Amino acid sequence: MSKRVWNHPEVPAEERDVLVWRSAGELDGSAMFREHLEREFPEKNGELTEEERELSRRSFVKLMGASSALAGLGLASCRRPESYIVPYTNAPEWVIPGKPLYYASARPTAAGGVPLLVTTFEGRPTLVAPNEDHPDSSGTDAFTQASILDLYDPDRSKDFLKAGKVTSKADFEAALKESAAKPGKIGFVFGEDDSPTRARLVGELKKKFPGAKAYRYEALEANRAEAALGKGNRLVVDFSKADRILSLDCDFLGLDETGESKGYFERRQGGSHADGKLYSKEVAPEEMNRHYQVEAAYTLTGGMADHRLRVTAGRVAQIASAIAAELGVSVPASGELSEKEKLWVAECAKDLQAAGGNAVVLAGKRQSAGLHQLAAAINAKLGSACAKIVATGRGEFADFAELVADMEAGALQTLVFATPANPVFDAPADVQFKELLAKVPTTIHLGLRADHTARACSWHVPAAHYLESWGDTRTASGSHLLVQPMILPLHGGVGELELLSAFLGDGSLQLGDEQTPSAGYDAVRNTVQLQPAAWTEALKNGYIDASYAEAEATGATDQVAASLQTPTPSKDALEVIFAADASVWDGRFINNSWLQEAPDPISKLTWDNVAYVSPKTAEALGIEPLTTELEPETKIFGKDVKNAPRPEQGEGEKAKAPMIEVKLGEASLKIPVLVSFGQADDTIVLPLGYGQGRDDGRSGGVVYDKAAPVVGQVGLNTGFDAYRLRTSQTDYLASGATISMVFDRYPVALTQEHHAMYGRALAREISTDDIDVHHHHKSYEEQLKGVAKQGMDSHMPPNTSIYKPNDTEGKPLISDDRHQWAMAIDLNVCTGCNSCLVACQAENNIPVVGKEQVAKGREMHWIRMDRYYAVHKDGDQDNPEMIPQPVACVQCEMAPCETVCPVNATVHTEEGLNAMAYNRCIGTRYCANNCPYKARRFNFFDYNKRNPLVPHNLNRGPWGKKQVGDGKHLQRNPNVSVRMRGVMEKCTYCVQRLEEAKIKQKQIQRKKALGVDSTKMTVTAKDLRIPVDSVKVACQSACASNAITFGNLLDRKDAAVVRAKDSKRNYDLLNYIGTLPRTSYLARVKNPNKELTSIDKNVGRATIHIH
Amino acid sequence: MANFFPRWSNFMPLKLAICAGAIAFGIALTIAVYGYGIPHAQPVGYQPGQPIPYSHEIHVNQLGMDCRYCHSFVEHGAHANVPSANVCFNCHGPNKVKSDSPLLAPLYDAMAIDQETGQSTGMEPKTLEWVRVHKIADYAYFNHSAHVNRGVSCQSCHGEVDEMKKVYQAEDLTMGWCLDCHRSPEKHLRPMEEVFNLDYDAEEWLAQNEIVDSEGLVGEKGQRLTSQEEFGKFLKVHWDVQPKESCATCHR
Repeated sequence: MSKRVWNHPEVPAEERDVLVWRSAGELDGSAMFREHLEREFPEKNGELTEEERELSRRSFVKLMGASSALAGLGLASCRRPESYIVPYTNAPEWVIPGKPLYYASARPTAAGGVPLLVTTFEGRPTLVAPNEDHPDSSGTDAFTQASILDLYDPDRSKDFLKAGKVTSKADFEAALKESAAKPGKIGFVFGEDDSPTRARLVGELKKKFPGAKAYRYEALEANRAEAALGKGNRLVVDFSKADRILSLDCDFLGLDETGESKGYFERRQGGSHADGKLYSKEVAPEEMNRHYQVEAAYTLTGGMADHRLRVTAGRVAQIASAIAAELGVSVPASGELSEKEKLWVAECAKDLQAAGGNAVVLAGKRQSAGLHQLAAAINAKLGSACAKIVATGRGEFADFAELVADMEAGALQTLVFATPANPVFDAPADVQFKELLAKVPTTIHLGLRADHTARACSWHVPAAHYLESWGDTRTASGSHLLVQPMILPLHGGVGELELLSAFLGDGSLQLGDEQTPSAGYDAVRNTVQLQPAAWTEALKNGYIDASYAEAEATGATDQVAASLQTPTPSKDALEVIFAADASVWDGRFINNSWLQEAPDPISKLTWDNVAYVSPKTAEALGIEPLTTELEPETKIFGKDVKNAPRPEQGEGEKAKAPMIEVKLGEASLKIPVLVSFGQADDTIVLPLGYGQGRDDGRSGGVVYDKAAPVVGQVGLNTGFDAYRLRTSQTDYLASGATISMVFDRYPVALTQEHHAMYGRALAREISTDDIDVHHHHKSYEEQLKGVAKQGMDSHMPPNTSIYKPNDTEGKPLISDDRHQWAMAIDLNVCTGCNSCLVACQAENNIPVVGKEQVAKGREMHWIRMDRYYAVHKDGDQDNPEMIPQPVACVQCEMAPCETVCPVNATVHTEEGLNAMAYNRCIGTRYCANNCPYKARRFNFFDYNKRNPLVPHNLNRGPWGKKQVGDGKHLQRNPNVSVRMRGVMEKCTYCVQRLEEAKIKQKQIQRKKALGVDSTKMTVTAKDLRIPVDSVKVACQSACASNAITFGNLLDRKDAAVVRAKDSKRNYDLLNYIGTLPRTSYLARVKNPNKELTSIDKNVGRATIHIH
Repeated sequence: MANFFPRWSNFMPLKLAICAGAIAFGIALTIAVYGYGIPHAQPVGYQPGQPIPYSHEIHVNQLGMDCRYCHSFVEHGAHANVPSANVCFNCHGPNKVKSDSPLLAPLYDAMAIDQETGQSTGMEPKTLEWVRVHKIADYAYFNHSAHVNRGVSCQSCHGEVDEMKKVYQAEDLTMGWCLDCHRSPEKHLRPMEEVFNLDYDAEEWLAQNEIVDSEGLVGEKGQRLTSQEEFGKFLKVHWDVQPKESCATCHR
């Protein structure tokens, strides 16, 4: 089963100084890891598992015999089945069957609404994309992309509940009428998003019910920054002006969104995207921003940084005050800094000072109010023109502490929860929220899930998804976005505005139907007060021009000192960092299978959360051998024997992480542990949100009760609940945790070595500063010129393929004179955030396979998000460079996969696509074997129809549980085949979109010719070529950083992709094997501070050779 | 011991088996021919009954309606839609054409309107289910608009629908059949104005309209075109018609 070994060229001497790895096992270089790597698929992938073996050849033949006999009896299968065409009775306006309709809408989030363009087919929303007409539009993240799946979640709340028991809507309406008439003291708990209509309704409610109070709560929004900025205020950073950025533990490109990041990425491109013309010139170092990051564990933002200082989260404030002191902000003396830190701080401060108003300092959400004040003070001192403080509409709402106090005091008779959070599960453990809830006589919960809070409240109302309801929200900078429904609530859900309107009225719910709009519509119309024509225009655009008023920072800066002291962690008193999870956020996406299966961008873990510790801490605590040692030596008769029986671990199916017990104060948690590179020593990172329901005996979490399920099939038995270690005092950071080993292991589905590609100079990185190569200084220009030569690419032999690019008549096979598609992926701005991966999944009907199958390496994502670590031999071994690289099919012109397909199921199109004819594929998997990029995915089972989340379901074949009818099929894109078992699949550049665009161009030609004698009309290839850059592929439009460009090579320099490919940074992946890929990559440029290169030797050296 | 069975019985089981087999084969053949061999069960000639016996012959040939009145999205989308019930109702609504015909009862049920009084019945609309005649596999993404906007007539694939009292499938719609045309589109191209004219005949049209091959695209320069073949080649060059044969054209 081992794959054919290609003899990759030697790594050039000058590039040998960099050590590269993807995982602990690879760094360790153990034999078992090598064996794993040389397999086509992880262990057992191509072989039968125990379960599969049960279905022996004999019983297979028996079954086949019986079924063919039955087929012979029936004969019905040969006859053409009668099928029906069911047109609309009254055709709705605009709907053309099979053609998408696009509507502008928005997704409200705490960080600011995301303007969206939603694709719908016959009324079914299937895909969200950023609304590019919106000035603040800044791409989408993976959460937004995946949020559409929540709409179709089969385990969504569908019933009204009364004290946890199913009741009727009428029942609730009766109770609501009573409540609306006499609610007593009423409180409303909302999310942290800012909705003008909600604010208006709350104002009216306060008038109607004296003493009514509104609160806001989301588990991971502590709003510490408000201590410095003033209540309800937020910092909006204009990254386009920011020359120097210092991020103090702020993951502003990842999980700590601060609004629009477009400017950051544009500045990262150093003027090459000037005036909106992509790749008009090379990256100019002086126009690039420089990004300093101080953080404890790697974040995606940290991965982008030019200089990353690795300190424990508690010491971030210390570094910050040292920098503040250098800049002349009066702060008390900070504690001792190491020599290296001193230099870092001094140079960073100098650099910020030099940039003055064009520098900005950001503080992370999890950091203390004191640090936010300090950051505000530094920004003020620098006179930062990029940091703007704005007043949002959220200042009116009381915070969580006030809610807790009011509940404790018994000051509330009725409490309405409309927050997306789940406070019974995610509120700090010491609050004992469930007990508090019992003190409020009437509690009404409005939510998408019948979760812990829903079941603890006296009423639960199924909520309408944002794609089902009217509403509005604001972007980070205050633009007023309209949320419009795409579909009537699938399960009769109630929108937040409808519920509020019911309280304002007599308590009857006015839900919409085909004829009458809901109360939410009236509420939004009343807020915006627009004439019909202007309203229609606003709906079409999805927004109304508006912005937040600027505010003054009200937080005093001289109180900084008190909160900055934190104890120094040690191995016996670890610092705990509670982190948002890249898959489930604060836990609200626990039932979202796309997010659950999307590998964590950094650890590449799917379907679970684990604790992360640094390699040194792991070593100190004695965990290290368990996590990295894949081939242990065992004493047998007093001798160390290497071929000892292997433990149940390693990669693939057998990957099992050791369990530890984390003790923090009274609370403890048993959780698996993995090593995380670049993390500060003596810290432990615990991602939150997992472990919401269990029935397999794992520690923590709520025991799953079938009669009252708090999680769906997707979220059941995933991860571990770290919320219970969290108290109101230690909601993000805690100190003094101890770890003890538990003699147990937990299977983890890690994808980092699945479909592992190897070769030379896969990802390339250069530096704007001189780099030292064997005592020779290479300037930026030299490095830039050298990009295409890295990894022996300059010594590429002439193409020796026996397959020639011409047909027998000498005509090129890739002959189309209208379109030649190509793509460029820019590693300079790719953060590795998974947004493209999820968008691709939505667009191309890619199935979810479940944890067990992922562990076997059978995940189906067409885009594989590789993440490499690299250190230079003289660099800091504990703080490696991290470089992500998305790899999908690169559409080789000389494709190795095509030549081995016995049935011509994968062949080239005239336009340079490596096409897949799914219906022709017989599943030999030769193509995947022969693919040097490992970009092909095989359907080992019928994942689309057989639900892979039901245990053993896949092996039951036709008797397995089917998925059709549970709602998810409504999300499918009707223009892409849904693949069956035994079929190979891969990226084809969204060929459905390309065909659509080409056909549209033909329609346009016809329309142009109306009224003209068609026989006199001449149409040329140019007329039939689609307008330059007019088609976007799914991953490209989802990308927040414009890292993906796609277009037609025949458009020459007009096409962004051609300009990108003309850049000196451009290179082909595995160029030396002569496949002539159509997707090329652009090297990453780091912009280090000259004065710091003596301590940051890794910067600009992350060129990845995998052996 | 004497032979228990006479000698002739040796081959008896075999003979019985052959006879039984022959009879079984005969029965199977009869079933197969009647069940599958006659037109209604085969792709070409498949002519199922419809909930309303709609006649294209009357609507197109006698009344002169354009295809696009009912199949309104044929120029815009992949699917040439079957009209929604309200389109039929434009003409066949209460007190309009044939509104009292019992054959239109399913239409009135679909609109939930009482055929006699013309008032709403208040009942749940009973959607019309037309039986699909032309069916290609799910994994082939045929696009009508790509064809009718480039001079391929409805007739090329659907036959002389204007003559059909009851629609049947005229061509076999297999992939080989698709490719025949993609390889030599000149057999089917016609002026775009004539795409929906089902009475079109190339030679007649060329006799009435003088098309001269002034650039020598087909044969000699300045030659007047007379046949479909020549005309098709002429149009193919003029309109840059290059039908693709690669898989991704139809399969995604």
